[in-house]
Amino acid sequence: MNTRPQISAVPPKRPHSRHLSREIGEKALTAAVLFFVMFPILWLILTAFKPENEVYTTSFIFKPTLDNFITIFTEPFNNQRLVLNSLIIATTATLITVPVALGAAYVFSRYHFRGSQLLMVLVLVTQFIPPLVIALPFFNLFRRIGLYDSHAGLVIVYLSIVVPYAIWMLKGFIDALPIEIEQAASVDGCTEIGILRHITLPLVMPGVITTAVFAFIMCWNEFTYALILTRNDARTLQLGLMSTVGVRGILWELMAATGLIVMIPVFILSFSVRKYFVQGLTMGAVK
Amino acid sequence: MANARMGKGSGKLLLLAPALIIIGLTTIYPLSNSFLLSFQSWKLSQSQTPAGFVGLANYIRAFQDPYFLNSVIVTLLFTVISVSMTIVLGLGIALILFKANRFNTLVRATLIFPYAVSAALKGYSWRFMLMPEYGIYHVMIGTLFPFLKDTVWLAEPGWALFWLATSEVWGWAPLYALMFIGALGSISPEIWEAAKVDGAKSAQVFFRITLPMLAPVVIVATLLKTIFSLKLFDQVVTMTNGGPGRATQTLNFYVYQQGFRFLDMGYASALAYLLLIGLGIFAYLYVKVLYGRQGV
Repeated sequence: MNTRPQISAVPPKRPHSRHLSREIGEKALTAAVLFFVMFPILWLILTAFKPENEVYTTSFIFKPTLDNFITIFTEPFNNQRLVLNSLIIATTATLITVPVALGAAYVFSRYHFRGSQLLMVLVLVTQFIPPLVIALPFFNLFRRIGLYDSHAGLVIVYLSIVVPYAIWMLKGFIDALPIEIEQAASVDGCTEIGILRHITLPLVMPGVITTAVFAFIMCWNEFTYALILTRNDARTLQLGLMSTVGVRGILWELMAATGLIVMIPVFILSFSVRKYFVQGLTMGAVK
Repeated sequence: MANARMGKGSGKLLLLAPALIIIGLTTIYPLSNSFLLSFQSWKLSQSQTPAGFVGLANYIRAFQDPYFLNSVIVTLLFTVISVSMTIVLGLGIALILFKANRFNTLVRATLIFPYAVSAALKGYSWRFMLMPEYGIYHVMIGTLFPFLKDTVWLAEPGWALFWLATSEVWGWAPLYALMFIGALGSISPEIWEAAKVDGAKSAQVFFRITLPMLAPVVIVATLLKTIFSLKLFDQVVTMTNGGPGRATQTLNFYVYQQGFRFLDMGYASALAYLLLIGLGIFAYLYVKVLYGRQGV
């Protein structure tokens, strides 16, 4: 008889402990994800600050130094030139892309004319062209007309990837705006360009900024075209990673320091548009 | 639907023209140029201009070239490994992080970082971690599994391809997880609760309910990843340089070698076009799935 209260007292405890072990298991899985995602980045950051003699060990504790950064920004590496090239090329390509793409995206979003659907799809599939198909003719053309190894040459080629991408991104943002205000303005006699400038643009500004950030990141991180179409003067920072390969093999501490310079601006920019990251990847296919 | 009510001036063309001109010049010009080149013989080491049309010779050569066939196989293997790993890991991470709590929210915020690492840097940093003696992953794996202690990862053909794929998966799986978390969030929780009430096991719930509901997103993600995997190039240069031997020589890398190491522009163009055709198939599927779903 007096065992009854005991029996009823046990059950609440057991789910509790099972609950606890389940929670620990879930936390452990999340920790494993965190390790998988962040460890390579953490290791690169640690290596960038390691003194040379610690790089070829697996130590986590060492006296951090800025020597590697000093080395990559002095003779013979002079990565500041590459940083400048990357900045000039990525910024120019972005500044050309955004207004051009905005105009096209606006038309694609607001007007449906014969073949507009097909044109949109063609713009999309340019993203799937293998870069070598683009690079081979431009390599030959640029060598003939003197654009090989120039900022302008690389900007032109980058437009081929960034403009179609930006059109799709911006179209997604414009599609999401209500059309009624524009229609009212149209009745009042505004031209398309007037409507775009005075009504749509202010509303779609967050989308414009997001697109600009993605365009900049794409150019900043681009490697294939830079490898093929530059040699010296217009080399970008991505290629700076390669210049740490010397006779003794790769100087990992310098690769890591260069890598950090490559990575940090992109991290800051990416984080600022993280809300749109998935949308950006799939060009609006998945929101 | 809007065009009937809105102006139909020349403004439209003016807005569209700059983009179409730029896209035309930067893609249609090279596309047609390399198409023509693919039927010509042109060794840049011998002449500054093409030596003339040779018909299908470059294409016929490709199908008799064992290194080309090797690169096709490498590319397909790489694609299968990296796409399946990306989707499975992406789904796994999404399911782990889906439950809302503070730790999960924090880790979710980190998911965008690997993708932000440039492909070239991805290749170098994974190569560094896999180096014998001092590579941190080499040491960690050797400690956990002593029988793998002496494996020189990037010197063995199978492992080199596996790690190349892993470095790619590292960039994409977290981002795909983010995408899948979004898709999971749009599934009504009542469906899961109902299944639980009916006594369904977790595995049953996943395969019978969650996965089918995620299917549209998973299909788009798979196609997109397939297209990008078939184009793999940057990491091959910085991580394995096609080696050991030709074990990681992807199609794009082989085109690069033919074009810019052996300076055989005609042959490289033909190879690049073959890759383009292969990609075209998947691009077609992608567009079809995308538009089919939206009912346009």
